[in-house]
Amino acid sequence: MKNDPVDVVVVGAGMGGAAFCARLAERAPRLRIVCLERGGWVDPRTMPAWRRDWQRATIDAWATSPNLRLKAAAPSQSADYPIDDRGSPIKPLMWNGVGGSTVNWAAHFPRLHPSDFRTKTLDGVGDDWPFGYADLEPYYDQNDAAMGVSGLAGDPAYPRKPPRAMPPLALGRLGMTAARGFDALGWHWWPVDAAINSVPHQGRPGCNYCGPCQQGCVTRAKASTDVTWWPKAITNGVELRPHCIVQQVTIEAGRATGVVYRDAGGRAVVQPASCVVVAGNGIGTARLLLASGLDSPALGRYLMFHPAAYARGMLKEELDGPVGPIGCALYSHEFYETDASRGFKRGVHLQVTRENIPLMQALRLEPAWGRDAQRLLREEFRHSIAILVLAEDLPEAHNRVTLTDRTEVDGLPGVKLDYTLSEHSRRSLDFGLDRAEEVLRAAGAHRVVRLPLAPLTGWHLLSTARMGTDPTTSVTDARGRCHAVPNLLVADGSLFPTVGAVNPASTIGALALKLADDLAKDIA
Amino acid sequence: MTPEFLAAVIDTLLPGDDALPSGTAAGLPLPAYAESHRSVLDAIAAEAGGVESFIRADEAARSTAVRAVERTMPECFRALLMAVLSDYYESEPALAALGWPTHPPQPTGHAPVAMDDATAARLDRIARRGLLWRP
Repeated sequence: MKNDPVDVVVVGAGMGGAAFCARLAERAPRLRIVCLERGGWVDPRTMPAWRRDWQRATIDAWATSPNLRLKAAAPSQSADYPIDDRGSPIKPLMWNGVGGSTVNWAAHFPRLHPSDFRTKTLDGVGDDWPFGYADLEPYYDQNDAAMGVSGLAGDPAYPRKPPRAMPPLALGRLGMTAARGFDALGWHWWPVDAAINSVPHQGRPGCNYCGPCQQGCVTRAKASTDVTWWPKAITNGVELRPHCIVQQVTIEAGRATGVVYRDAGGRAVVQPASCVVVAGNGIGTARLLLASGLDSPALGRYLMFHPAAYARGMLKEELDGPVGPIGCALYSHEFYETDASRGFKRGVHLQVTRENIPLMQALRLEPAWGRDAQRLLREEFRHSIAILVLAEDLPEAHNRVTLTDRTEVDGLPGVKLDYTLSEHSRRSLDFGLDRAEEVLRAAGAHRVVRLPLAPLTGWHLLSTARMGTDPTTSVTDARGRCHAVPNLLVADGSLFPTVGAVNPASTIGALALKLADDLAKDIA
Repeated sequence: MTPEFLAAVIDTLLPGDDALPSGTAAGLPLPAYAESHRSVLDAIAAEAGGVESFIRADEAARSTAVRAVERTMPECFRALLMAVLSDYYESEPALAALGWPTHPPQPTGHAPVAMDDATAARLDRIARRGLLWRP
């Protein structure tokens, strides 16, 4: 089956694809834009927070890992594909459906720092971005406005931002106790920017602090692009086709001619297009472009995560436990910028999260069963504070996404990760864990346990089709256009030349808006 | 596989204490484990010298048998443990003992305490600090 040609076909309806589509349709309303998404819309009535068995959903159909969901007893609504992650100590997490991973993200919404765009110039490591913070700043503001951000202006860790649309989410006892620890040490802390309504905003309610954000938000207080950017994009005329799995970007004589996809009925469909934009995250984008034969030596290479570790402190006083958005209490950038005396360049992000639900906490105990396990659970539940340490990976060509010899059930080649935690990242994590333990002790913790590397934290799938000027070390130019195929664009976190040490969604959205503006100008 | 044996295994995993109920006291569905985790339960019985022997054993001896099977059949054992812990930490007796609501998170949610004056003062001190970012 062959469809009529369109002007632009976008692959993927997550943070990058949604923002890109909405903006391009606004800037160039005459274009015919189609977005193909491998998964479907999620109905909030099916989310587990309504049910008594909501806890086990976190390790079953609503697990954050696609590999775990594929093994689950109950079918998932995420249109997943298996990922061979045996070669990576960090396991990839994502959601495959309209909204992408914003469906099950924690919605912590920080920006990169200005220095993150110039690591080579400032610190002699990594690479500089082809543009700076100031170039992206207006797009950060626009993405914030569309997503709806709770927070507090005046943070000395960042250039001045506009007033946040809503006041910050409540810190709760847990956050205020952690703040006491940071304060005792004289260290920076600040309530997080969160893409979660703290009060009713833009037709969505305020958060009622139910907890399991990563199993979908039943009230829609948490922003996800299916409820933020997509209604705008569709109003602007974008056609979104769910349950369509793109098999190949067709490339002839150095030009993309469209895509071939498998529709909801399993039929092969040819979709001609003047321009193809891929936004399937750092794994999905690399997989599709490799399967399409894009000739680019850097494609799939330089895979970066934000390696994560936890320090958990146990206190005598009663705290909240798993009350409120899991990723959103407060953070510290006291150690974000480079200090050469630490023995490594760049820095770490410290984030006070909410605590584990009872089942998750029980599964993480050692021992996991018996009298001591129950005693530990009782001592820790509602008496602990966890500090997440995020480190900045640096670009290394050997960390990569490749194809396997298998053909998966979705019709595409299998995909494999090879990733080694670098000495740099290990040092960063250890430094961050030491600081986190200091905070917890200062806050009153009588016992602190560490998780030196948390495996199920691979949300941030970055840099496998990075921007740059050198075609041997980058895949696209500064406008997201592939060096080898200029009418084939990338519009997601795959583009990041470096990744900072903070969650990337805010930057992915801002970058997608900039790229859409660039393309609209090119077409005009 | 008798109910007494199943109860003994489950209460070895979750013996309870003066605050938390044991697995059987929490009303866990013992027959379901016999159906879905037969091989690992059989292995525990064999390790102890038989079903009756496991039932008669003290807590230390039961734990030794279970630990041995945890080593020899790690995946099967983990599957049993996850099923048992899932049922336990979703049970009303266990949640109530932890001081946690027994109903789902929605529609009620939770009501966290508001920021107190001391925290607001701490935040104000941070706001007055010099810039931390590099241009």
